Amino acid sequence: MEARKDILGRLQQQAAPLPMPSAWVSGRQFEDLAAEFERALTAVDGEVIRVNSFDDGMTALGDLLAELGVEKGVVNGERPLLTANFSHQFPQIEWHIVGLSDGNLRDGNLRDFCAVADVGISGAAAALAETGSVLIESGAGKSRMATLLPPIHIVLLPAARITADLFTWAAAQNAPPPTNMTFVSGPSKTADIEQTLAIGVHGPKRFIVIVYDQ
Amino acid sequence: MIHTGCTVTQFRQEATQTIGNASLQKALRGATAHFVDGRQAAFDAFPDGEAIRDHLKEIRGATISNLAFYLEQFEQNAQAAGTIVHWARNAEEAAAIVTSIARENGVMLAAKSKSMATEEIKLNHALEAADVRVVETDLGEWIIQLAGESPYHIIGPAIHKTKEQIVDLFEEYRGRPLADTSIAALTAEARHILRQQFLEAGIGISGGNMGVAETGSLVLVTNEGNGRMVTTLPRIHVAVMGIEKIAPDWDAAAAWLSLLARSATGQPMSIYTTVVTGPRRPEDADGPEEVHIVLLDNGRASLADTSSRKADYAEILQCIRCGACLNVCPVYGESGGHAYNSPYSGPIGAVISPLLFGLEKYAALPHASTLCGACVDVCPARIDLPRMLLALRADEVEQGIPSPFEQFAERAGTAVMGNAHLFNLAGKMAGWGQKMFTKNGTFTPPINPTLDRNLPIRPQKSFRDLWNDLDTD
Ligand code: SF4
Repeated sequence: MEARKDILGRLQQQAAPLPMPSAWVSGRQFEDLAAEFERALTAVDGEVIRVNSFDDGMTALGDLLAELGVEKGVVNGERPLLTANFSHQFPQIEWHIVGLSDGNLRDGNLRDFCAVADVGISGAAAALAETGSVLIESGAGKSRMATLLPPIHIVLLPAARITADLFTWAAAQNAPPPTNMTFVSGPSKTADIEQTLAIGVHGPKRFIVIVYDQ
Repeated sequence: MIHTGCTVTQFRQEATQTIGNASLQKALRGATAHFVDGRQAAFDAFPDGEAIRDHLKEIRGATISNLAFYLEQFEQNAQAAGTIVHWARNAEEAAAIVTSIARENGVMLAAKSKSMATEEIKLNHALEAADVRVVETDLGEWIIQLAGESPYHIIGPAIHKTKEQIVDLFEEYRGRPLADTSIAALTAEARHILRQQFLEAGIGISGGNMGVAETGSLVLVTNEGNGRMVTTLPRIHVAVMGIEKIAPDWDAAAAWLSLLARSATGQPMSIYTTVVTGPRRPEDADGPEEVHIVLLDNGRASLADTSSRKADYAEILQCIRCGACLNVCPVYGESGGHAYNSPYSGPIGAVISPLLFGLEKYAALPHASTLCGACVDVCPARIDLPRMLLALRADEVEQGIPSPFEQFAERAGTAVMGNAHLFNLAGKMAGWGQKMFTKNGTFTPPINPTLDRNLPIRPQKSFRDLWNDLDTD
């Protein structure tokens, strides 16, 4: 408490504050937000698959899972993923649906499962066209580990949630944020050894976004 | 490694070694050129970049000028979200806060994501002294930890290490040779080893790229995902953040984030931008049960205090630690990061180290600059670093920091240069003197005050002689 008083006290010696500029209005206008998003994310080693509907998205997901040889998958228990019956649609894969499977797989088990899962599947709260970023949020049924620990992260993103850039996103914020929000802009990366790009340090090695029109 | 300060002799010794080390020079050149090219390409593709730099400069200036207000707002909103906010006047207090959180919770292992503030407070030493093992998890930072060194660059801690040196460090750590020594294999090895540490750690420690006052959120930017790991897996997350790193609202945060990665590495956006607003809520699937933020002063508040003589330097608090000024600095580019003997190197380090840690201790740093101004050209907040370097030099003279010899030399120089006859005479004498020590066209004086440079030979005729010889009709 002493420290707080001292620090703020010292700062209160400041002269009149300078005026804060008004919010920046984004000048970015993209004719096709989804196309721009695809361009930007592909440029940073992310992968984009564009389909017409959520159902087509699930079909594309099925092809992807087969191609990747997935054996274990974790799915965030959020809409509309919750409506897709993963165990029924892809019975050869062992699934953990966050929030649903917790009856038999408790919290500690979610961690254990995420640590060995081949893929994590989530929805997204928003996306930024300019930088190819996807915003994932915490909340009921939404695990941070599911999108972080497995080597592959697949997102099902409704095209309508793509906005131009950070400024257009910021301008639309009015509710208090969830505990955790993460903008993901590609697979985990480093250039810490001789400026040579290496993929998949701590986070997923592949970041695949299935963009569907409604 | 503990930084104790940087005298002129220390700087010269370290810089001389770096300049004479061909592989280090190559690494430095490679890394800084890589960052400079990346930044240029990113701004070329960002039409509003220059205007947003103006915007950020204004935001940062206005924020710093009213910092107490925004800090209180930040604290209030962070607390409302369940974050525990601590205040630390200095490095010792900050380190003690983090150490006692670890101790009270019986933590044996701390996983740390890259952070300059925790370097500044020497947190690893404090934790280890309290028997808490610390693992750096940013790949570059981990390499440096294995080597027992300090970061070479704000953004690339291990840019000075060659792949071969890194292989040696990894092999020593594992106690056996690596089958595959490609960079991809080294990265995979680090992933494997560090993943285990993340899962075992009782506490996750991070810095903070910014705090958003409007929502009480902490923003953390990483490329590897270590920032996400330390805010997801351990039961407790502690962030240490300088009090100046406040963005009033999401508009300010957006301006800040759109310039940070572009200026630092040339990426439009870092891979992961994590925003933490409090510990996990009952409905959350996972996340830490406790979130602490330590607001670190350590000399910053006195820079913002307009009643203090240090107020000339308030502008330095606008820094967003992107590292761009290091990459364009000719002095950093030759001398390397360790010459500064501070967690902060390059132009930002040359200004902030004396201000935070003492001008007396870091007396060499205001001179570690050619004042070329390349740093201002790239700084996202358009901070006038050369202005402050000059002001620091003036402060040194005022505080009598230069050595008596330097003070004598300066006074003598003033006298000689202020008098045309004396100046002429001194030039001639220097010419005679030099002849005695010149062999085969090289001047080798018995004592070379510049240590590492070849001194030029005075021409036969001075400019003044040539001028007088001119037929002026
Ligand atoms: S002074 Fe400017 S360029 Fe240097 S690190 Fe700070 S923000 Fe970046």
